[in-house]
Order: sequence, then C-alpha cells, then structure tokens
Amino acid sequence: MEFTAYQIITPLISFVAIAYAWNLVFKQKKTIWEALLWSVFWGFISVIAIYPNSLDYLTAITGIKDRENAVMVTSLGVLFFIVFYLVIRLENLEQRQTRMTRKLALKDIDKTKK
Amino acid sequence: MKIIAVIPAYNEGTRVGNVVSEVAKYVEKIIVVDDGSTDDTAQIAKKAGAIVLTHIENCGAGAATMTGIDAARMLGAEVVVTLDADEQHSSDDIPALLKPITDKKADMVFANRFGRRNNIPLIRRVFNGLGNIITFAATGKWVSDSQCGFKVFGPKAVSQVDLRMSGYEFCTEIVRESAQHRWRTAEIPAKVLYSEYTLAKGQSFANGVRTALKILLRSFLR
Repeated sequence: MEFTAYQIITPLISFVAIAYAWNLVFKQKKTIWEALLWSVFWGFISVIAIYPNSLDYLTAITGIKDRENAVMVTSLGVLFFIVFYLVIRLENLEQRQTRMTRKLALKDIDKTKK
Repeated sequence: MKIIAVIPAYNEGTRVGNVVSEVAKYVEKIIVVDDGSTDDTAQIAKKAGAIVLTHIENCGAGAATMTGIDAARMLGAEVVVTLDADEQHSSDDIPALLKPITDKKADMVFANRFGRRNNIPLIRRVFNGLGNIITFAATGKWVSDSQCGFKVFGPKAVSQVDLRMSGYEFCTEIVRESAQHRWRTAEIPAKVLYSEYTLAKGQSFANGVRTALKILLRSFLR
C-alpha cells in the first residue's frame, strides 16, 4: 500500500490534536469526556485519510460523485466555516461586554466591605 | 462556616423581597445581583436587607450568578447557596441542601425538583429531561435536575468555580465544572412551587434550542 503525503500528514495532525486535548485533561482544563469526543472526531478524520474508500458508501447515499457536486459541497463547507467563525467572534465580543459589566458591578462590593 | 446566598434577579420586583426575607433565616448574608432590571428589583432587595450589585446591562443568569459568587468570595464566603428570585424554591430546603457540605460528604449539592412529589407541568418535565440529556452529552456526567438554579457550593467548589457562560447554559457549565474539578456531588430532593408567574417567565422553545446548541458548540471547542 502506497501512501500519499496527505495520508501521512493528516494522521500526524490528528495525533497532535488528540495529544493536545489529553494534555489539557491532565492540566485540568478539559474534561475526560470532551477529550474523548475530540479523539473520536480526529480519529474519524485519520481513518478517512488513510482509507479514503471508506467514504464510498457516503457517495452512494449523497450522490456526490462528480467534480461539480464536489465543488458545491466544498463551497458549502467554506460558507459554514465563515458562519462558524463569525459566531465565535460574536461570542467573544459578548463575553467581553459581560466581563466589563460584571467588573463594574463588583466595584460596589468594595464599598460594602468598607 | 460562613454561608452566603446569591440570588440573580431580572425584573423580579414583585417577588425578590419575600425571597430575601425567607432566605435570611438560614444564611449570614444575601447578595442579590440585579441583572439590568427595568423595574424596582434593586430597591426592594436592598430594603429587604440584601447586598445589591447591579449589572448596568442584562447579561443573563449565568453572568449574574458568577458576579454573585465572586462577590461572596470577596466577602469571605466558605459556602454559597444559589437560588432563583421568583419564589419557585422553598428556603426551608436550605438546611437539607447544606447538610452534605457541613458533613463534609460533598463539595457541591444539586437540588432535585423531581426527587419528590411536586406538581410539575408535563412540558416542564420534558424540557428538563432534554436539558439533562444535553448536559450528559456535553459533560459525561448525569445529574437528575441539571437545570435547577437551587444549588449549594462547598468550600472547594466556591474557590474553584469559574463560569464563562452568560445565559441559562451556566447550569450545564456548573455540571461540567464539577466533572472537571472532580467535586464530590450530592442530589437532594427539593420542593418547587410553580405559579402562573413562574411558568410565564420560563424559557421559550427557540431559546432552549439556542442554549442547547451553544452548550454543544462550546463543549467541543474548549
């Protein structure tokens, strides 16, 4: 069996991502459950990279066989990623506003202590 | 043990005064976090004897609870009791919830509204059940009433808790925190009093779906 560069690099990236997740578990920043979900996700990506034929059944179900369909699906994927990125940015802004509001409220507790 | 109660409140002017008076029997101090209310919640809570902190903008129950816990820490709290401001919880349950903490058998106690005979509408039971399932999917820990605002944090939990979710998702985040920090947890059956007022203030279906998506997204991205 001959491997392409993609088939070597993808499992390596997956390995790093999984190792990183479990490292966060040991640092108590991530729960075991979250690391398990993360491992399953990256494990799945690796399996697809090493055994691309495993996706054959997916093409049978979805009908994504030719190039035009693949371009459509990729475009949808890119759009999905952009929306996802915007949602995360909005969440961050919302969190920043919340932090400011909370800090302002906590100033009053210092007055209570005095 | 220095016990402080934290009550997040948003437009609860008609209820918060009674809640503060009732809870005062069981705790040393009460902190009411007025989460950007447009009514007289803050004035009434202050009049009833609570320390009132005000969010200038409505940030959500999670943010208000964390502000209250931070304030309780600054006041030297060893144990923090959180409960809703809408009179749905009975303050008479506080001693039972405190017991596992004072006996040093738990670091965190969850009230369980389904653990005893309570008159809970079917739709509420269904939504709470879904909340429990989503919480389990996101945290890997099963809690019988994960979405209840009535909880007790022991000394270890008070020092370690750090909530980042602002809205109702914070209930799930607390379960996550308990799994992450390996707190010993206990569940105590508690009374719940649903009135037309309480039911009207509940979350909408759309809000529930949004909350669920946020929980799943965040738990994956952490």
